[in-house]
Amino acid sequence: MMTSGEARLLLLGWSFRGAEASRSVRERIALSAEEVREALDRMRGEGVVREGVIVATCHRSEIYGVSDGEQPFERLATLVSQWRGLDVAEVTRASFTREGGEAARHLFRVATGLDSMALGESEVLGQVRQALRLAKEAGSTRAVLHRMFECAVAAGKRVRTETEIARHPLSVASIGLELATKVFGDMAERRVLVLGAGDTGALFAEQAVAAGVRDVRVANRSPERAAALAARIGGAAVPWEHLPRALPEADVVVGATASPTPVVSRADAEAAMRGRRGRPMFFLDLAMPRDIAPDVAGIYNVVSAGLEDLEGVAEENRKRRSREIPQAESIMEEELARFLQWLGNLAVVPTVNDLRARLAALRDAELSRIAPEDRERYRAFADAIASKLLHEPMRRLKSEDDASRKLDRVEAVRHLFDLDRPE
Amino acid sequence: MGSHLLGWLAVALYTGAEALAIVSLMRPRALFARAVPIAIAAGLALHFADLMRRAHELSSVPYRTLGGSVSFFGWMLGIAYLVLFFRHREQAMGPFLIPFIVLATGIGLVLPDAASLPREGLHGSVFALHVTLAILAYAAFTLSFVLSMLYLVQNRQIRRARTGLLFARLPALDVIGRLNRTSVTIGVATLVLSLGLGLFWAERVWPSLSDPKIAWAAITLLVYGFLLWMDRRGWAGPRVAVLSIFGFGVVLFSYTVVNLYLSRAHSFR
Repeated sequence: MMTSGEARLLLLGWSFRGAEASRSVRERIALSAEEVREALDRMRGEGVVREGVIVATCHRSEIYGVSDGEQPFERLATLVSQWRGLDVAEVTRASFTREGGEAARHLFRVATGLDSMALGESEVLGQVRQALRLAKEAGSTRAVLHRMFECAVAAGKRVRTETEIARHPLSVASIGLELATKVFGDMAERRVLVLGAGDTGALFAEQAVAAGVRDVRVANRSPERAAALAARIGGAAVPWEHLPRALPEADVVVGATASPTPVVSRADAEAAMRGRRGRPMFFLDLAMPRDIAPDVAGIYNVVSAGLEDLEGVAEENRKRRSREIPQAESIMEEELARFLQWLGNLAVVPTVNDLRARLAALRDAELSRIAPEDRERYRAFADAIASKLLHEPMRRLKSEDDASRKLDRVEAVRHLFDLDRPE
Repeated sequence: MGSHLLGWLAVALYTGAEALAIVSLMRPRALFARAVPIAIAAGLALHFADLMRRAHELSSVPYRTLGGSVSFFGWMLGIAYLVLFFRHREQAMGPFLIPFIVLATGIGLVLPDAASLPREGLHGSVFALHVTLAILAYAAFTLSFVLSMLYLVQNRQIRRARTGLLFARLPALDVIGRLNRTSVTIGVATLVLSLGLGLFWAERVWPSLSDPKIAWAAITLLVYGFLLWMDRRGWAGPRVAVLSIFGFGVVLFSYTVVNLYLSRAHSFR
């Protein structure tokens, strides 16, 4: 329940956790960075929120706001539906909402990777940072959201350094790179040869470059695609017919072609190893069916890993990450409590002021009904009672240590005394 | 013999370092990781004082007795650990190397220091250098043994795509291989020097050069020399690791059976 009066934290979001049926709505809502700026301007322009930050990733669009207007969720949903040309009922059905401390908790879960599709993934932390940056540029953050996002990012960093939740790779490409790194050590000076310039090969080549490999070569049966991929990743293309010469020079060979038969036979690998004078070689087979003949693994100093190995590791790593959840959650809650504590302090003061104002208004209304010469006396009497009555509850409200309980109590006081009723 | 209080304190410090090393292998904590070399260094200082006290009591080098020599060997291993840590920033080796330090130091304290009669010629700088270098060589070969075991473990993990704790913590095969090559090279070089000095010195004090220890030192050199040779000719990898483990067997035999039962000149009697 949101009513006007006090500024409240809120979250209206659409995420991959929603029903499968609403996937198309979510996809239509998804925002680019440019659109985020526009959306922030609109939200504030129409006075729906005082502060706003939008977290937009492939898997989620989440609007965080501080609002003191009436029915902010309805107004936000209407705004989004009008902008995207969608039915407001559909937009609302596909959405989820959070308020107050729960909105903050959701953001902290997102930033720490606890709410991610791939548990503990690291990209989302950058995306949360990016959301704050865009909002700052748009001038749509003030004290509360700025602080909330900075605390969430800090929580995300702590979880990543103090737990192993982000340490075990989940994609076959990064697992393959991890294995290669355990053979060769520093991969920066090693040569990686990618066979096949299709999606799989391109994905691996990109990841290898991102991981710091400086020398990536691409070979493909049609040379144009090899050249295009090589140009895109800053590598070099190798003509397919030069493979016998290129193999011995590669430390890591990645099979990612659509060939129905292996493109590297045991004889090819043996010839390459002779050329390398026995220095180790790593074959990574990402192709289905296989690109690297299975018996290559039997050659001395040749390590070979196939898709089934890598997928086994990915499964194992998912379990390893899950085991880190309790520790990650306790760090997350610790940081959240710190933020809510701060927020709670922020809310008690206006609540106390509102309550005093409400009592003063009641007192004045009653005083107006008695004789003017008696008013001063009665005013002093009424003030004494009001101040005695308020003293203990206010002291308890201020001294509450549990931040989320404090928020709840502030809310209870506002509700019981109807402080959010427009004057 | 007098009390080995300092020596036992050193053993306690080494044991503490081992516990910290295991803990930081399981859950990396910067504080623990930094405490390991500090504990080892403190242990080495006390250990050194204990060796000095032995030397004083024996009126000779501390490795005049079997206990002293094993203890000195443990001390050298501790130095090797510090070199690995500070020069190569290598921490994962700690839990596997430190037990050898604890073991050697402890055995060195327990073995009876047979109060033998001072034998002619068992003093002088040539003799001292000969023994020091020999023990340094044994320490280097022990390090190589530990590295080779870790190499084989890591190699197995990679080949089976087992990416557990050891996989994550142990260094890359290339790194272990290079450290191994360095320690075998140091071992071979110091053993050659030690053998040379030993021969030079023995020629002057022994009637004939017919000690079995000389033959076993030559066999040890042959094994490790072959290892280094093949390492450059395509064997760098698991085969070199297996060869080093075999070489360590030869070293152990030469240090125990040969010293105590076969060689008269190296029997500590």
